[in-house]
Amino acid sequence: MNTLSKFLIGCASAVALGAPAVQAEDKELTINIVASMSGAFANFGLQAEKGARLAIEEAGEAAGMTLNMVVIDTESNAGKGARKVQADLSEHGPGIYVGTTLSSTALAVGQAVHDAGGVYINGGGADELTGEKCNASMYRWSAPTYGAVNASLRPVLEAHPDIKRVYTITPQYVFGEAMLSNAKTVLEEQGIEHVGNSYHSLKDKEFSGFIAQAQAANPDLLILLNFGSQAAASMQQAVNFGLKDRMKILMVWSSGLDTMQSLGSDVSDGVYFGAQYWHEEEAAGNQSLVALTQAKLGEAPNYPLASYYQMTKIMIDAVNATGGADPDALKAHLAGYSYDGITGTETVAADNNQVEKNFYLLLGKDAASKADENDFADVVSKGKFFLSAADAGCVK
Amino acid sequence: MLTKTPLFVHFLAAFAIAAVLPMLLPSYVLATEILLFGLAVIGCNLLLGYTGLLSFGQALFFGSGSYFAGLMSIHLNLGIVPTLLITMALGALIAILVGVFAIRRAGIYFIMLTLAFAQLGYYIAFLAEPITGGEDGLLDIQRPALSIPFVAKFEFDSDFSFYALTGAIFIVVFVLMQRLVKSPLGTVLTAIKQNEARAEAIGYNVKLYKIVVFAFSGSVTALAGALYAFMLKFAPLSNIDLETSSQILFMTILGGLGSIYGSVLGSAVFLVASDFFAELWPRWMILLGLLLIFVMLYMPGGVSKSLEDLFAKISAAKDQRGKKP
Repeated sequence: MNTLSKFLIGCASAVALGAPAVQAEDKELTINIVASMSGAFANFGLQAEKGARLAIEEAGEAAGMTLNMVVIDTESNAGKGARKVQADLSEHGPGIYVGTTLSSTALAVGQAVHDAGGVYINGGGADELTGEKCNASMYRWSAPTYGAVNASLRPVLEAHPDIKRVYTITPQYVFGEAMLSNAKTVLEEQGIEHVGNSYHSLKDKEFSGFIAQAQAANPDLLILLNFGSQAAASMQQAVNFGLKDRMKILMVWSSGLDTMQSLGSDVSDGVYFGAQYWHEEEAAGNQSLVALTQAKLGEAPNYPLASYYQMTKIMIDAVNATGGADPDALKAHLAGYSYDGITGTETVAADNNQVEKNFYLLLGKDAASKADENDFADVVSKGKFFLSAADAGCVK
Repeated sequence: MLTKTPLFVHFLAAFAIAAVLPMLLPSYVLATEILLFGLAVIGCNLLLGYTGLLSFGQALFFGSGSYFAGLMSIHLNLGIVPTLLITMALGALIAILVGVFAIRRAGIYFIMLTLAFAQLGYYIAFLAEPITGGEDGLLDIQRPALSIPFVAKFEFDSDFSFYALTGAIFIVVFVLMQRLVKSPLGTVLTAIKQNEARAEAIGYNVKLYKIVVFAFSGSVTALAGALYAFMLKFAPLSNIDLETSSQILFMTILGGLGSIYGSVLGSAVFLVASDFFAELWPRWMILLGLLLIFVMLYMPGGVSKSLEDLFAKISAAKDQRGKKP
């Protein structure tokens, strides 16, 4: 039932009875998908919605309840996302919430859901989500910035011992700061000089000034610590400036296939990409997703689609396992829960609600070497790097 | 409409709006948001609708209010009344500072100056990350309680209790603003809007009046920002960005310029339509844009003016019928 319908029914009820409208929702379980369907990260949201819908349609029902999906558009804005989730919680009570990759939105939504007693899983990257700002109701599927930086930067440095000078480009918010902090730690540990960093805001679309600063610093490796359309735009502009021929480039937090499709092989060839997900993973959980996506949508799954599919599936499986949608029962079930996921075996850490999963380092290949239209890169390495709850500062 | 209506009637009307709104809407949260944005739109209407000053700087007052109130709740825990009063005073102070500079120019230059101040505020908030939380927003804001010594202490943790607080504040501000716009000050503001040169020629200190109205606008808008921060329990950076200024401006024009009732109507129509369209189609902003184009083209006085015209036509038709033998 949409807002206007409720508004109209409310009007009728108020006039006729002087009482608010009541809606009946028997034997139906709503999974709330929190995604940026409009605003700067709208493209991510549209793919994410597909993934969540695939998981819900695949399951059909859970614990005898018909599954229903409601999309909450964050408008790529933490305040609006939090307000809409609060409104939903106020209207329907504590429920199941899935999604958002923007850490600032995830932090705000996570607090709202926790206060109301619901369950929430997200794909944010900032370490705080399962660190200092963790709570008992908030789960995180994606590897945090610590894992992403360690699983991508270390193998690149090992493969290229000649790298001595590194420049970074960073979005100035909680996610970017965490990425930068982790990158600096790795560089310091390896004795590599961090010759400079350029900060940009979440609103920036033009990066040529930052690229020029990077070029002037003459590094051996340029690390892009942003993500989404900003990461793609800065990569495109870096290649346009000819930086690929002068230094190695690593985009730590790419969207995998999605990013490479938008950049094309000309740009991605020879560039390193960190990725939460890669569609060529051979794990059984991924093979079934690839087959499902191909059958339903005629395409290969990308990161937004796959991550929302997996996060939604985790919640549906938990409902099936507990026989209902009671948040406390779901939380008890998820503590230490291990399953065959889309990146291999994935485990929900009981102490900080972090899903421990593989993170990939990919190397883009040229168009002539591609086995099929989506074969943009080879997997250089994959691994799991996670801080313990104590090291991350999580006290639930 | 309602130009000669006693204040008591406005009080009853505001009370009725606050009482009925939650019955019509799916949640207290949306009802709260409508009332608090209604306050922000009243602030904008004082400038644009009553004085003819088009300000793109409203987000500066709104966002500052969010930060001031949020920081006070985190660090000082003064209670709800002192927190809101201090926030309003600080909002007025910022508005006076903006006003003193902005009113030195008119027309497009005035608009650009308000925009420039808003952008200045945005980047200060963005860069002052240790204080404001930067792009992450200011987290961990708590809603202060209302303590009446030796009598009672009221908490606002539930959606209902916070709505009741917002509703009470809305009623007070609504009535005060009705009083303001019907006062001699309000008459002078309207005179400035209609013909600034003539108002100056007959002896009014136009600059002073403009600064005063900026102070009122900043104060009310900062109050709305504070309530928004308490509603969300955090203050996002977007509260102080250009989009928020545009949103408040849209609501003002949508509801109707020069109408306090229209301010609430503009807020309600904008927010309900946004939620409704968002549920219909992921690219819902196109629909919202079409709605705004429709209102601009076919309802030039805003929704409130169209409703007034409709009521007038119905009334005239009834009169006609009554005169027939």
